Amino acid sequence: MSEQEKVKVIDARGSFCPGPLMELIRAIKESSVGDIIEVLSSDTGSQRDIPKWAEKAGHEFLGVIHEEGYDRIRVKKKR
Amino acid sequence: MPKTIAVIGGGTGGTIVANNLAHRLHDQLVKGEVEIVVIDPSALHIYQPAYLLIPFGIMHRNEAVRPERSLLDEKVKFRQESINRIDLSNRTVYSDSTKITYDYLVVATGAKPDYSQVPGLEKAGYDFYTLDNAYRLREALGRFKGGKLVTAVAGIPFKCPTAPIEFAFLVDSYFTRLGIRDKVDVQYVYPLPRPFTIPNVAEDVQKMMEKRKIEVNLLFNVESIDPEKKEMKSIEGETIKYDLAVLTPPHTGAEVVKNSGIADKGGWIPTDRYTLNIKGYDDAYAIGDATDLPVSKAGSAADFEAAVVATNIWDDLNGFAPSLRYDGKVMCFIITGIGEATMLIFDYDHPPRPPPATFACYWYKLVYNRMYWTVTAKGLLPGFGV
Repeated sequence: MSEQEKVKVIDARGSFCPGPLMELIRAIKESSVGDIIEVLSSDTGSQRDIPKWAEKAGHEFLGVIHEEGYDRIRVKKKR
Repeated sequence: MPKTIAVIGGGTGGTIVANNLAHRLHDQLVKGEVEIVVIDPSALHIYQPAYLLIPFGIMHRNEAVRPERSLLDEKVKFRQESINRIDLSNRTVYSDSTKITYDYLVVATGAKPDYSQVPGLEKAGYDFYTLDNAYRLREALGRFKGGKLVTAVAGIPFKCPTAPIEFAFLVDSYFTRLGIRDKVDVQYVYPLPRPFTIPNVAEDVQKMMEKRKIEVNLLFNVESIDPEKKEMKSIEGETIKYDLAVLTPPHTGAEVVKNSGIADKGGWIPTDRYTLNIKGYDDAYAIGDATDLPVSKAGSAADFEAAVVATNIWDDLNGFAPSLRYDGKVMCFIITGIGEATMLIFDYDHPPRPPPATFACYWYKLVYNRMYWTVTAKGLLPGFGV
């Protein structure tokens, strides 16, 4: 990641499906092309739903990092 | 001075909790040791599940509305006014004309459609989320002789998560019964990658929709609607044209909880998922649609929650430790067509496993629509045995 890329962290831990996805969508709407959104989610469904949504919406799914009790899921706004 | 239990909101949750407590506290109420006060700006209580059925002529206005006073136990006080501020730290709620200091507070202020979240939503089409809109939709369905009917969820969360699915199934039955189903293209539009939040139920729903030739369009998050062009655009970059749009609006919490600084950014009250206390306050509870709990915004959840709160307030008043925890229980019907239904029963730890749809279950739903007034709202069968 270059230093110019902004990472916006959305802490959706404790929120249940579809809360983290909805938080991501809201954040993407408010971001600029090229921004990276990192969603912290304790709902295991997020790692299934978020990549599907990112693909459909034309954004880049950057991956999941598993942490203790939650995941960090990164998406880059592409359009 | 009597101990005061203040209940803000005279919908399903508020009415049940007040009546349930009135039964338990009969003697203390008669002696004047305790008072229960329900406060709501409306004198009318609406059975909101009727909204889904009115468009198809299955229920009618006179079956959906009762005076709130007629539902409440006679020992419960009812004040028809708006509470505009809740001060949890000082155990006081305020209306324009008065203030009430409480010993226990139950906030049951519900959820309401928020059309402002999606440009064009309010003028775009029809919905079944108010009584008047349910009747507007009934007229529109009656006039509709063919074309593309799109039923779309335009934002999450919303009241009664199964309602959009049920609406699509009812549309299929309704036009089949009228003999014009072949002239109506039905499309179900949903923001998630499956047609319902709970994966195993979603699988069944998808199969049923395919069988009934209901087109399913997933991952479509409505961004805006153009009522002139009759088209809706999604955040994902797609456009859908329609002849008749029936939309589920996103919902938000009540103004009073937002204005009092006790709501999160969606307008929901941070609530302990087991005790139902408003977080940080052991004398204040939130139930029903007003909470931020990960359960359906539905009367059934409010019913189960009301039983927990009534029990634990009674326990505390009488010197006992709380004896119930809410386990996330919800029980709701899914109408899968005119004359058939199934049922979802689930909690925090057990997802629903709905049985095959039957006429018997549909019939039970019709009976329940009447039983609501005489049993559920009266607090006579608290929480179905929680």
